[in-house]
Amino acid sequence: MFRSNNVAARIFERQISSPAPGTSVHCARRFYENIVPSHTIYDIECPDILFRKFSDDGNYLVTFSRNHQDLVVYRPTWLSFSCREDDCLNRDLPSKASKFESFFTQLYCVTLAASGELICKDFFLYSEKNQFGIFATSTAQIHDAPAVGGAIQGIPSIEKITFHLVRLEDGVILDERVFCNDYINLAHSMGVFLYDDLVAIVSLRYQRIHILQIRDSGNLVDVRSIGEYCREDDELFLNSSSQGMSIPDRNTAQNIGNGLESIHHMPETSFLSGLKQRLLSFILRGIWNEEHDPTSRMQCLKKKFYFHFQDYADLVIWKVQFLDRHHLLIKFGSVDGGVARNTDNHPAFFAVYNMETTEIISFYQNSAEDLYTLFELFCDHFHSSSKNSFYMNFLSTHSNNIYALEQLKCNKTKASSCQQFVKKMLATLPFNCQSQSPSPYFDHSLFRYDEKLISATDRHRQSTDHPIKFILRRQPNTLKFKIKPGPESGNSDTRTKKISSFLFHPILPLAISVQQTLFLQPAVVNIHFRR
Amino acid sequence: MMMPAGGGGGGGRGGGGRSWPSTTSVSASGKRIQKEMSELSFDPPPDCSAGPKGDNLYHWVATLFGPPGTPYEGGIYFLDITFPSDYPFKPPKVVFKTRIYHCNVGSSGDVSLDILKDGWSPALTISKVLVALRSIFTNPDPYKPLVPGVARLYLADRVKHDEVAAEWTLRFAR
Repeated sequence: MFRSNNVAARIFERQISSPAPGTSVHCARRFYENIVPSHTIYDIECPDILFRKFSDDGNYLVTFSRNHQDLVVYRPTWLSFSCREDDCLNRDLPSKASKFESFFTQLYCVTLAASGELICKDFFLYSEKNQFGIFATSTAQIHDAPAVGGAIQGIPSIEKITFHLVRLEDGVILDERVFCNDYINLAHSMGVFLYDDLVAIVSLRYQRIHILQIRDSGNLVDVRSIGEYCREDDELFLNSSSQGMSIPDRNTAQNIGNGLESIHHMPETSFLSGLKQRLLSFILRGIWNEEHDPTSRMQCLKKKFYFHFQDYADLVIWKVQFLDRHHLLIKFGSVDGGVARNTDNHPAFFAVYNMETTEIISFYQNSAEDLYTLFELFCDHFHSSSKNSFYMNFLSTHSNNIYALEQLKCNKTKASSCQQFVKKMLATLPFNCQSQSPSPYFDHSLFRYDEKLISATDRHRQSTDHPIKFILRRQPNTLKFKIKPGPESGNSDTRTKKISSFLFHPILPLAISVQQTLFLQPAVVNIHFRR
Repeated sequence: MMMPAGGGGGGGRGGGGRSWPSTTSVSASGKRIQKEMSELSFDPPPDCSAGPKGDNLYHWVATLFGPPGTPYEGGIYFLDITFPSDYPFKPPKVVFKTRIYHCNVGSSGDVSLDILKDGWSPALTISKVLVALRSIFTNPDPYKPLVPGVARLYLADRVKHDEVAAEWTLRFAR
C-alpha cells in the first residue's frame, strides 16, 4: 500500500484509519521520521559541567560540576523567541539560541561529595516511579589493599563509597548508604542494578549482593544480603541456635561498621558460603541425576565435579542483574577477572538465583549455546529494568526488532567460530542498568545509522570529523538528519584523538553532543534540535 | 582452566600416575589411594560419592546426601578429605565444608569419629569411611560429643533437636 511520508498526509491517515491491533504506539512513533533534530547549534556557551544523561522520562538533565563535588540538575525547556517580521521561519536564530540556558533551566545545585570524596561521573540510576535518583561518591581506590576481615585477595579497596538517594524534583538528599573499605564497581553503574524499587549492590571485596529497597518515604532499607548467607535471618538463626555450641569469637574489631549491620565479617571458618553451597549442590545434583548407573555416575562426578571442585568453590561474584523481583542473574568468574577491563578471556559462569526460595535455578558456562539461544530469542527479558517503565519498551533489541536481528545474524555468520561468537555475545550479560537511551532516533525500525559511531548504549566513542548520518529505514531511504559533534569547521588538528558522547532526550527531538579532546581543553558542546 | 568435561579425571585407574605432580615416584600411599578410588568407583556406597580435587590424589572431596527419615534429609553435605603421606597407616582427615547441626561435628567442621582416630586400622578404606560418616547422620553419638550443647538437647528433647537440625539443613545444606 502506498504511504506518504508527508506529515500532513500521515496525520490525515491517522484520522481515517486505525492501525493494526497493538501497533498504535509503533505507528505513532513513525512521526519521529518527520520530526528530527536536524538543526545544530555549534559550540554553545555552556557552563563548565560534566554531562551525565537525561532521566529516562525526559524530565531532568543530570550533570555534575567540573570538580566532581556538586550535582547540577536542569529542566529541559525549549528555545522560545519572538520575531517581528512575517518570514520568521527563514530568519537566523536569535543570538540567545547559542546559549545553553535557552534550552535548559537550572533547577538546583547540591553538594553530594563529602570531604575526600568525588562524585562518580559515570554513575546515575533513576527511579522513575517516584523520580528519585541514585548517585555515588567515593574516595580514591587502593590497589594493593590487604585482604582483611573476610575480604578476598586481589580486589582493590575503596575507603568510603556513599550512595545518595536524591529527590530530583527539588534536590533534597533523602537518604544515603555508606560502604567502607569495600569495592563496588561504579563505572557505568556496573556494580549496581535497579529494578522497580529494589537495588542490588555487588560488593566485590566481601562477595555479597546487598539488596536494598527504596521506600516511597525516601528511605533506603536493607532487604537482605546474599553471599555468606542466603536468607536475611540466617545469621541471626545461626547465632541463636548455636548457643552452647562453641562458636569462635567473632572478630568484632574488623567489623568496621559497613553501614549495614548484617555484615559481620566471618572469622576464618572453612565452611562454604551460603551461595556457594547452593551452587555446588546444584551442580552436583545435575550430574547425579544425569547418570543412573552408579559406576558411570561416579566416573562422571569425578571428571566433571570433583576434579573442578576447587575452581567452582573459588568462583567469585562479578556482576548481577535482576531478571524480575525474585530472580537474579549472577555472573561468576575467577578473582582476576572481577576488576579487569577486558574479561573476555576469563572463564565465567552464569547462574539464575531465586532469592526468595534461595535456590539456584540454572547454571551455564559463558560458552553455553543454550543460554545464547535464550538470549537471542528473549533478549528483552534480560533488559528488565522495571515492569512499569514505559519508554524502555522501545529499546531496539534483536528479539523485538527485525533489523537488529538481521544485524545480529550477519555478525553471527561473519564470526570466525560459533563458540567465540557465543562468548562475545554472552559477555554483555548481565546488562548494565539503564545503559540504553530510549530515544526514538535509535529505533532500528525508524532509522539506520552506523553503530560504530553512535548507538543507544551510553558510551564514549572516538569521533571522526564526519557527521553521523541517520537514514530512513523505510522508503525512500533518504538521509533525514546528521549529528556532528565538535566545532562546525571541523578540527584543525586532525591527529589528536577526540572522544564524543551523545545525550539524546528520550522524547523530544533534542540531543546534546559533547566532544572532548584528550588535552583537558574545554569540551565542545553542540545542541541538535528541530528548528 | 575449568570445566571442559572429560579433561582428565585425575588419573582414573591404571597408569594415570603422570597427571599429578609426584616427585618421589608413585609412593605406596599413592598406589593405595588409587586402588581405593577404583574400588569406590566400581562399588560406590549408596547416597555418597567422593573423588580427588583437581589432580591432587591426596585431597579429596566427598558428598553425602542426608539420609531420608533423619533431620538431615534433603541436605547435601560436602566434606574435605585429606590423606596423610603415610596413608594407610594414619587415618585421613575429614572436615565438613557444609554447616551441620550435629553433636559429633564441631563448630569448624571437624568430625569426631572413632575410626578416624584411635579406631583407625590400615585395613579400612575410603568406602568404609564414607559409610561410617553416613551412619553418624542416622546414629549420632551423644556420649562422645564435640558439641556438648547439641548432645544435651539430643538426649533431653529429641523432637526439639530434630527440629533445629532440620532447620539447619534447610538453611545451610540445600
